[in-house]
Amino acid sequence: MGRHWLGAALAGLLAVVAAGTAWADGLDYFEKRLAPFTQKPAFVPPGPAFDARKCMAGKSIFSIPVSSANPFTANIEKAMAAAAAKVGFKFTTWDNQGQSSQWVQGMNAAMTQKANLIDLLAGTDPRVLVPQVRAAQAAGVPVVASHYSGNEQTAQVTRTVTADVPIDYFTAGGLLLDWAVVQTRGNLNALVLISTGPLSTDSMVAGIESELKHCEHCKTKMINVVVPDWGTRITPNVQSALLADPTINYIIVIYDSMAQFVVPAVTVTNAADRVGIDAFNGTPFVLGLIQEGKVQMDVGENLDWIGHAIIDAEMRMLCGLPAVHDPKIPFYIFDQHNAADAGRPPQLSQGYGDAYVDGYAGLWQLK
Amino acid sequence: MTAGGGVLDLAERYGLTVALLVMLVAFSLLRPETFFTWSNVSTILGSQAVLVVVTLGLIVPLTANDFDVSIAYVLTLSSMLIAVLNGQEGWPVWAAALAAVAMGLAVGAINAFFITVFRIHSLIVTLGTGTFLHGVTLWISGSMTISGISDSLMSIVIVHRLLGIPLEFFYALLLCCLVWYVFDYTALGRRLLFVGRGREVARLSGIDTDRVRGACLIVASLLGALAGILYAGTQGAADPVSGASYLLPAFAAAFLGSTSIRPGRFNPWGATLAVYFLVVGITGLEFMGVSSFVQDMFYGGALVLAVTLSQLVRGREEQQI
Repeated sequence: MGRHWLGAALAGLLAVVAAGTAWADGLDYFEKRLAPFTQKPAFVPPGPAFDARKCMAGKSIFSIPVSSANPFTANIEKAMAAAAAKVGFKFTTWDNQGQSSQWVQGMNAAMTQKANLIDLLAGTDPRVLVPQVRAAQAAGVPVVASHYSGNEQTAQVTRTVTADVPIDYFTAGGLLLDWAVVQTRGNLNALVLISTGPLSTDSMVAGIESELKHCEHCKTKMINVVVPDWGTRITPNVQSALLADPTINYIIVIYDSMAQFVVPAVTVTNAADRVGIDAFNGTPFVLGLIQEGKVQMDVGENLDWIGHAIIDAEMRMLCGLPAVHDPKIPFYIFDQHNAADAGRPPQLSQGYGDAYVDGYAGLWQLK
Repeated sequence: MTAGGGVLDLAERYGLTVALLVMLVAFSLLRPETFFTWSNVSTILGSQAVLVVVTLGLIVPLTANDFDVSIAYVLTLSSMLIAVLNGQEGWPVWAAALAAVAMGLAVGAINAFFITVFRIHSLIVTLGTGTFLHGVTLWISGSMTISGISDSLMSIVIVHRLLGIPLEFFYALLLCCLVWYVFDYTALGRRLLFVGRGREVARLSGIDTDRVRGACLIVASLLGALAGILYAGTQGAADPVSGASYLLPAFAAAFLGSTSIRPGRFNPWGATLAVYFLVVGITGLEFMGVSSFVQDMFYGGALVLAVTLSQLVRGREEQQI
């Protein structure tokens, strides 16, 4: 009996030590993944320097954003226009309210104005513009889907357009899981809020699932709410999920504007003490929620930087230079320690540093 | 009334209530540890106050045979006004809420003016004003979600509780009682019903139909503004688009509610019951791990089925609206 007892105790001790070791190693892995994104982003040139002013002389880019009423795309358009002005070529934005009929008008206007390249920005869906894209390509005008898909989705996107300027959504999704794993000390039971439709969702989900494989004691449950239903469906669905599973200890929100509807669900269910929230996009009001302690982390991207990166990639296409497969748009992690850098109230593109300004000026040989 | 007729009448009046109870029992048996808990019940009750108030706002003009599709945009503008005035401009939250109420009253008066003076269909006018308000909301918000609303508003809406239920539920309940009292126990309520059932007959009977309709539209917008205040207090922020998504669920609840308690009439208890019938169903399905598209099917299916059953019980009388 005594021997049995001793054996069981030793086995238990070994199991605890083994579990502890695996857990510690795992946590270290996730912390290392996060570390580079906690530093102010450094400029990494996406390709060799070139004389942008010279090769863009007389050329033009025509950009159709997914919606001008969306501050995210509206500000990227402003950044693209400012970058084009620095180089000194014609850049046109086709303002619209997000209707596909307006995108068709934009495509036709671009052809009428004899643009050299048509840019479809951040969700202007080329899949609903097939005849217009084909007409443009037949006329020798490249059509580029920018900030629309992940780095690994280029082949999928170029079935309908000439090229893409992707963003590393896969890594962004992975970072959300990495953060949640660290916060829950390797015992994550996460509710993951997704919104299917945009290609970026597939990429981010793949990133989350890829990182999940590195955590032995972690699990996730996904809730899909399409964009039009965010206002009415996210809060009740999150409430139900939190009540149905009291062991949920984190909520991962792949688009941070969804967080507005997640926070009340956490409050109503009295779950604020056990549940943290992280998200992606760096939208100002969500950075404000970090300042208020209601959201723990937001993976941000600098809209001004994005605008420069897209213009850089598209100029290279027009100048006959090798294509950019990764525009090196950096992510930056905002948490309670640095959320104030974004301003009070937080502002778009603030808090990321300005390494890209000199970086692109040098890359385009403007100095 | 025959015995059979009495049973049918009872079935129609309380059919939705029974269906709600059956659902509650069924989901409680299937998920006793999680669904059949006070925290779940209080969460369900406390989370639908905005929808209840919007639905109450809709049934007032619907009773007078008018539509108000601008109510969801009044809600959105009301919450955005609070976010901008309180969160950004530093107004006290009560002053921002008063401004939102004043906006609601003004929009209601504008709707009433165009509908009753120019004899334009309410659907067209409120669609127009709603779209206009959407533009105003985008303008004042810069198309952005705005946070920073005072914690004091959130405290009195969602944080403080009575019997474990957020206070906003009791505000909605209070408004429901108020609408019920006016509908059922005042001369105004009777006039409202006459105007809705036969506008010309009501006018020939000496009722000032324009005044009644105008009052209904103003009350609807006022309730839309109050829903916006609750919305701002629930979210702690305001965004320029999401409020519009309340419109269809509110119409669904209004029509579903008109088959219950006082069948054939838009009535506040029926509407409130309908909101909770739909949300209990969806919450239960969520607890069962059902995908969100099934929730949509439940929402739409329950509405059509309930109204169809009600029509069958009533011997297929034609719907007025």
